[in-house]
Amino acid sequence: MKKLNYFLAALLGLSITYASAQTKKGSVLIKNATVLTVTKGTLENSDVLVQDGIIKQVGQNISAPNGVETIDATGKYLMPGIIDAHSHVALDVVNEATSPIVAEVRMRDMVNPFEVGLYRALAGGVTISHAMHGSANVVGGQNVTLKHRWGSEDPADIIMQDAPRTIKFALGENPTRVHGRGRGIQPRTRMGVEAILRNGFNEALQYKKAWEDYNAAASQKGNTKTAPEYDERLQTLADILDGKIIIHCHSYRADEIYMLINVARDFGITKLVFQHTNEGFKVAPEIAEYTMGASVFADWWAYKMEVYYSTAFNAAILTKNGAITSINSDSAELIRHLYHEAAKTQRYGGMNDDEALAMITMNPAKQLGISDKVGSIEVGKQADLVIFEGHPLSVYAVPQKTFVDGVKYFDIEKDTDDQRLRVSATEMVEPIFLTEEDHRCMQDVELNFSDISKTLFNTNY
Amino acid sequence: MKKTLLKASVLGIMVMGWISTQSLWAQSDPTGKKPITSTYAITNATVFTAPGKAGTKSTVLIKDGVIQGVGSNLSLPKEARIIAGDSLFIYPGFIDGGSDAGITAPKDPERPKDFASNNPPDEIAGITPWRSAVDQYSAADNKVEDFRKAGFTIAQILPDGGMIAGKAAIVVFGSEYSTNVLKTNTALLASFRGARGMYPGTAVGVMAKFRDVYQNTKLTKGRDEQYQTVAGVTRPEVNPTYSAMMDVINSQVPVMYQASSELEIRRAISLQKELGFKLILTGVEDYANVIDVIKAANVPVLISLEIPDDKAIKAQKEKDVNESVKAQYSRVKEAYDNAIKQAGLLEEAGIPFAFTTAGTKASDVMKSLNTMIENGLSEEAALAALTTNAASILGMSRVAGTIEKGKMANLVISTDSLFAEDSQIKHVVVDGYIYDFETKAKKKAGKSEDGAPAKVAGSWDYETESPAGSSGGVFQIAQDGSDYTGTITLDDPSGSGKINADLKDITVNGKSMSFAFDIAAGGMNITINVSGEVEGQSFDGTMSVDQFGTFPFKATLNPTLIAIK
Repeated sequence: MKKLNYFLAALLGLSITYASAQTKKGSVLIKNATVLTVTKGTLENSDVLVQDGIIKQVGQNISAPNGVETIDATGKYLMPGIIDAHSHVALDVVNEATSPIVAEVRMRDMVNPFEVGLYRALAGGVTISHAMHGSANVVGGQNVTLKHRWGSEDPADIIMQDAPRTIKFALGENPTRVHGRGRGIQPRTRMGVEAILRNGFNEALQYKKAWEDYNAAASQKGNTKTAPEYDERLQTLADILDGKIIIHCHSYRADEIYMLINVARDFGITKLVFQHTNEGFKVAPEIAEYTMGASVFADWWAYKMEVYYSTAFNAAILTKNGAITSINSDSAELIRHLYHEAAKTQRYGGMNDDEALAMITMNPAKQLGISDKVGSIEVGKQADLVIFEGHPLSVYAVPQKTFVDGVKYFDIEKDTDDQRLRVSATEMVEPIFLTEEDHRCMQDVELNFSDISKTLFNTNY
Repeated sequence: MKKTLLKASVLGIMVMGWISTQSLWAQSDPTGKKPITSTYAITNATVFTAPGKAGTKSTVLIKDGVIQGVGSNLSLPKEARIIAGDSLFIYPGFIDGGSDAGITAPKDPERPKDFASNNPPDEIAGITPWRSAVDQYSAADNKVEDFRKAGFTIAQILPDGGMIAGKAAIVVFGSEYSTNVLKTNTALLASFRGARGMYPGTAVGVMAKFRDVYQNTKLTKGRDEQYQTVAGVTRPEVNPTYSAMMDVINSQVPVMYQASSELEIRRAISLQKELGFKLILTGVEDYANVIDVIKAANVPVLISLEIPDDKAIKAQKEKDVNESVKAQYSRVKEAYDNAIKQAGLLEEAGIPFAFTTAGTKASDVMKSLNTMIENGLSEEAALAALTTNAASILGMSRVAGTIEKGKMANLVISTDSLFAEDSQIKHVVVDGYIYDFETKAKKKAGKSEDGAPAKVAGSWDYETESPAGSSGGVFQIAQDGSDYTGTITLDDPSGSGKINADLKDITVNGKSMSFAFDIAAGGMNITINVSGEVEGQSFDGTMSVDQFGTFPFKATLNPTLIAIK
């Protein structure tokens, strides 16, 4: 296998692809805040010193080194930057909906650093979002983890380059509607979804073996074996089997969640996170034992048949059963107040402050494989921080300043009306009529529907 | 690259040789349509042999599609048809870096019975690298004629198609007696356009599929080599897609990526860095913010010969709008103003670019060029983009781009200096054939609507462009009845600083104004004549300098206290 990897790495030129320029790193001393570390309790009247984008010191009476700006946060709260484990922000394309498996597509190709949604997310204290492929396919594309370095022009500069690879899976109504009903191909049912997954992984095993056989033969003299076809789709599935990619699977019903747990166990996959997971509470012990947990809505439900059996206690039940649980937005609007969403777990399930805050910081960090770098206020971690007026779990909470790598990208005092980075030369300035919010999970899919099926199935989640 | 150039020139010579053979047969042409001679002399015209060169009075002699000479003392053969060019201006024929003129999309192939939209055949999914623009091209198309009329003589024609549309070719917009093909297989045209309702349907799928095609072409090459050298190897499958991609992975043929926006430009460049093909960016429209990225990537650029639609700006209302709407208006206006400055910024950054007219109208060519020029692009750079830069990007510099002995006889002949307001193209010479176009009589100068002379008294700020660069200063005109006097400040031609000169022969006739002044330079006394039209507070004219040529001269009248509205 090693050989195959070397070969493919060389083939893909991966080593040069993601070599990116240094992103901005800041230094700042935040004084006298109530520091909500999430992992190490709450520290009253404490200071946090950031140097070159890294948290260097947390404590009291820290003095600012030369040239480091001091911000007085007396009476204010400081928490780690909020992490949204399910978003479609800053992506020019969300769905390559044309095939039940599109593991080869990379959302990092489609990152748009100018989308104003990034700034709005910062205004809600969100510093990292997991920009995901949509849910039209059983195996969707590879997602990208973004750091909201607002103002960057190079898409590479808002990509968290040190985050591991993740990929989107989707079960249930969306892939069966798009492919089964929409195109008359597998999967038409949940059984078909499972078949697509098992066939895909088995093909990936054959693909991997074909390359291993070829690589072993290639070094022999007079070798007559020729190289197999290159297929990044199967290679990506092989990488999942090798534990290099974390699966984030769109799911609702307990039966399909349990199905994927079984498929994962059969193929030795452990890096698996469920998304949405409205019926997760029914299989919470299994999720806790076999997966990296679930990323759920606080209280969204009933927007289609498979989402009727829902409870706002879902996150609390999952947590009490030991599953890593996060609260996500999947929305350009919810991403602006995820701290309210987290607070709902206190109303529905009695989570304590640390548990509730972990749902939008440490827990999503774990699910994205970045909890050693972000997700809490600890010395040595990347300085993604938010200063709040009011406790973030209070209904009166208002984010004041948001930092990524110690650089301030949002300041409520400098918030002007028009924060867009780019304006089109041909844009008609016309009154905007607010419509019901459109969610992006199924963006770019509608092109492939006839008008009638669009009307019939116009649900977006 | 050198090898390709060599091949190109050999082919070029072959094609030209063929044309000249044809012209010998012309004498027995029963249709009577063919010209009786293939030798022409355009005499005593103002000839601009290359961008940056001042116009000089010369004669251009062409024969059998080749320029035989440029100069004032040419001996003209008896068979030469003489065209008196005394009032005409001659420029090298324009070269279009990427054109869709004369291109008709091929019919969609029939879908197979077992068609699956998740895995369609390449040809249906827009992956057709084996297609050639030549097969889709018709020289008789009106659009070819339109662009020829706009001055284009050579074009790289682009195939119509999907994400990998096919191979471009270079044609000359020449006579009906030739295939007009100069070179085939010049570039592979690629775009981020997905296929409709099938894989790959979006830009993200297209990028993944492009990688897939590229890597499999490499593997195919390896298998072929193995098959040739080792006995007992299973016969490699021949796949038309990979076969046609072979010269791309071998860097013999560049990939022309259609990338109009800033992010598409970055995507094309990042794919190029990842895979290592030769890249040409084409159809770039919104690039002001990635000029440094383009420069660092060191890739040739074809910018769209088009300026953004100004509908949105014109639709901005003045009344009944609140502050927030006004603020948004001003951002759109700013974006528009920046967009029309882009070409000038590209020039400033030292990136030699050419144009692509794909998706544009021939009737907009001059308007677009003039807008770019009014917003910072020098006339020299505009002409270079139309001629020498395009020739260099297309690998045609040896035979095209300038007016020189031995080059193809491709000329644009206009009634005035090319970018002057009323200038019209009267003839276009393509491959030695002369195309004549009707010119409209110029607007009668000297009579403004009410017949009254324009108000010219006051202080004017002026700017000129000349091969020495742009310069500017102030001239002042005082009026006493119908008499005018004035002075002008200008950059000292013999050193630094400014000098003053008196204006003479100031004439104001209706809207037109002319004057002259003398300067001493290098021991010579040079008279400079300025003439043009006054429109309100602005003056748009040309400055002609004895023996050196004619250059644009624009001025704005400074408002005086009396002029306050």
